[in-house]
Amino acid sequence: MSNANNTPLPAPASYGGFTFENTHRNALLTRMGYDAPNATKTGTTIAGIVFKGGVMLGADTRSTSGSIVADKNCEKIHRISSNIFCCGAGTAADTENVTGMVEAKLRLHELKTGRKARVVNALTLLKQHLFRYQGHVSAALVLGGVDHTGPRLHTVAPHGSTDTLPYVTMGSGSLAAMSIFESRWKPDMSFDEAAQLVGDSIRAGIFHDLGSGSNVDLTAIYLQEDGTVAVKIMRNIDCPNPKPAPVLNYKYPTGTTAVLTKEVKPFSQLAEVTAISRTIFENNEDDDAAPPAASAPVPMDIN
Amino acid sequence: MSSIGTGYDLSCTTYSPDGRVFQVEYATKAVENASTVIGLRCKDGIILGVEKLIVNKLAYAPANKRIYHVGENIGVAAAGLLADARALVSRFREEYDHFKEFNSTVITGRVLCGRVARFAHAYTLHSSVRPFGVTALLASHSKENGPELFMIEPSGVAMRYFACAAGKGRQAARTELEKLDWMQLTAVEAVTHVIRILHIAHESNKEKPFDIDVSWICEQSDYKHEFVPDHIFQEAQRAALEALQPEDDFDDEMED
Amino acid sequence: MVFHQLPDFGQAVSLGTTIMAVKFKDGVILAADSRTSSGSYIVNRVADKLTELYPDSIYCCRSGSAADTQAIADIIRYYLQVHAAEHDAPPPVEIAANLFHKVCYSNRGMLSAGLIVAGWDKASGGAVYNIPQGGSVHQLDISIGGSGSIFIYGYCDEFYRPDMSKEECLDFCRKAVALAISRDGSSGGVIRTCVITEAGAERDVIPFYEVKIGPPMGAPGAAPAAAEAAPMQTDVEVHSDN
Repeated sequence: MSNANNTPLPAPASYGGFTFENTHRNALLTRMGYDAPNATKTGTTIAGIVFKGGVMLGADTRSTSGSIVADKNCEKIHRISSNIFCCGAGTAADTENVTGMVEAKLRLHELKTGRKARVVNALTLLKQHLFRYQGHVSAALVLGGVDHTGPRLHTVAPHGSTDTLPYVTMGSGSLAAMSIFESRWKPDMSFDEAAQLVGDSIRAGIFHDLGSGSNVDLTAIYLQEDGTVAVKIMRNIDCPNPKPAPVLNYKYPTGTTAVLTKEVKPFSQLAEVTAISRTIFENNEDDDAAPPAASAPVPMDIN
Repeated sequence: MSSIGTGYDLSCTTYSPDGRVFQVEYATKAVENASTVIGLRCKDGIILGVEKLIVNKLAYAPANKRIYHVGENIGVAAAGLLADARALVSRFREEYDHFKEFNSTVITGRVLCGRVARFAHAYTLHSSVRPFGVTALLASHSKENGPELFMIEPSGVAMRYFACAAGKGRQAARTELEKLDWMQLTAVEAVTHVIRILHIAHESNKEKPFDIDVSWICEQSDYKHEFVPDHIFQEAQRAALEALQPEDDFDDEMED
Repeated sequence: MVFHQLPDFGQAVSLGTTIMAVKFKDGVILAADSRTSSGSYIVNRVADKLTELYPDSIYCCRSGSAADTQAIADIIRYYLQVHAAEHDAPPPVEIAANLFHKVCYSNRGMLSAGLIVAGWDKASGGAVYNIPQGGSVHQLDISIGGSGSIFIYGYCDEFYRPDMSKEECLDFCRKAVALAISRDGSSGGVIRTCVITEAGAERDVIPFYEVKIGPPMGAPGAAPAAAEAAPMQTDVEVHSDN
């Protein structure tokens, strides 16, 4: 067994296909008592509700790598189509790629059928993909949108199970966010009420969950009076964690530091330029430019 | 057949200018020259009967089969090219097994007929293949639909029948079948009629010796497809010939 | 020191559940609680574990992994649509049960799914099939499943009768699920029911705390229908927070 690890690896170029260098490296790190590197996960608060005529999606903007904040203002609400959006929690690479893949597939489907995609359509693509990968694609999603059947809101768990509910939360801050919804959600809320409620649920996550933080993003998909679907993207609608102003003043007035000595040196030099050969210029008969006349050293200021 | 010899009959993929597919018509011709096959629905069952011309007296008689088991509730009688019939029957059996494997229940006659008809039809669409020179009569029994009889033609056309015939004596047979009140017939009575009609259908081929095979699906067979037991067959054969006899006598008298 | 325990969403979402399906005079009744949990967190308190497989005639109750059972149900629904299209008739319940068996058995080891298929068809009338973990099939008059079922085997054995009316059978099912919810931490929420007869499928939902636990309607020694309205004294203390 250990023999496999000690055998020098063949050069990848000579074989093609996959290389498993990282597997060996990680095994080595583990043997030496170190942790193998981890993918960036978004400890996250994402949420969504159904309100009168639409859905309101919300997300925080913290991206973490272990205990380090990797990005203080990332975007977790992804566009799937003009009328469908999706909040992602879990491994950032997985949520971005899986939503991107479904976005592409739905667009092709729309072009093929000449119709707007439905939310269940996105839901089915997502759940079948996640089920196929048996939970290894680490994406927990809140999927929302408006289609001709009305406002639709779903969650998709990493193993591919889905739920359909009027208010949902996902991510490490889901418990905090859900407590807000459970106490304050009611049917047929107005746009402003919905924005306030989802904003509060995300703030609950930001303030009470280690994995969540920074700002609040909201996206609303809703039916307008004329029956068309509108989308309002409210990026950083609330920034409850601004970069704090410096408490101390680090500016020093001129003259704070005493001048002890002063010396001025002129920064110019004399250089001697010598023409080594004239033949270069004489052989070039087509050249109209006059060769330099002087053969004597010419003083030049190169300053 | 005004367009014969103009090249339109070489492949299924080319229509003749008057919209015909000659290869399919030729396959139908192959069936029309073959020995007669008839199927008859009766009160509570289905009877299949075939005329088997004895081409070679040295051949082992039971080996010359034209009625095939497909599954315990399904039988097929084929008119036409025997080798093609075998190929088609193997498809019947494949579809039967596949359905049973997938659904853990037995396929109905209607669905099996539809699937095999689609298969036969596919052989009328490509230049690289030849349509089946076979017309197949499918007898089935299912809990849902009771006894049913279907016929699949070389073109892929398939229909359900109360009685049908294919092969050389089909016209004579159909004329006789139309006279029957099939809804009132018991299975045993129907077997007698089938044998009688096969004898009538054989008239045009009178000089050639022949055998008859009859199978059924009915109460006596516990709704399974099986050949009619020998004693019932012999009795029916005797009754059938007797029924034919007076007519002959009558004709003789007329000639006198 | 542990400051904070994050919910583990890598853990599969599962239906720690009470489900049942029961044959009665005119067809079948399916019943289920509505709790879906991931570890100790309730992901969905009003989940629908009664899943339609063919409109008006065949449903199933799901227990085990939510992802697995949803995926299986989606596949079977598709197969049944194909079957119905080819046969030009609603598929028999037996076919649905055998398809479940096929999928569950051939993928055993990879799936966590305990299913009960029930419905009505012309050939057999009402029918109930249990497909437990492992993928075997069992035709039964009454089948119960999920983590909550262990608490109601005695109740079901004692009070099930094959000749129940629709009302009696509904009452029998609701009381059974309510009993299971009251003792099983993984079951809770509302009680969903689905009555399937020749006339079609009729769904209903009632809150858990509205069920008065006791012997079912029509059982020997049970309170007459009129007295049902008043809450019954029971040994079991029922908490409405379930």
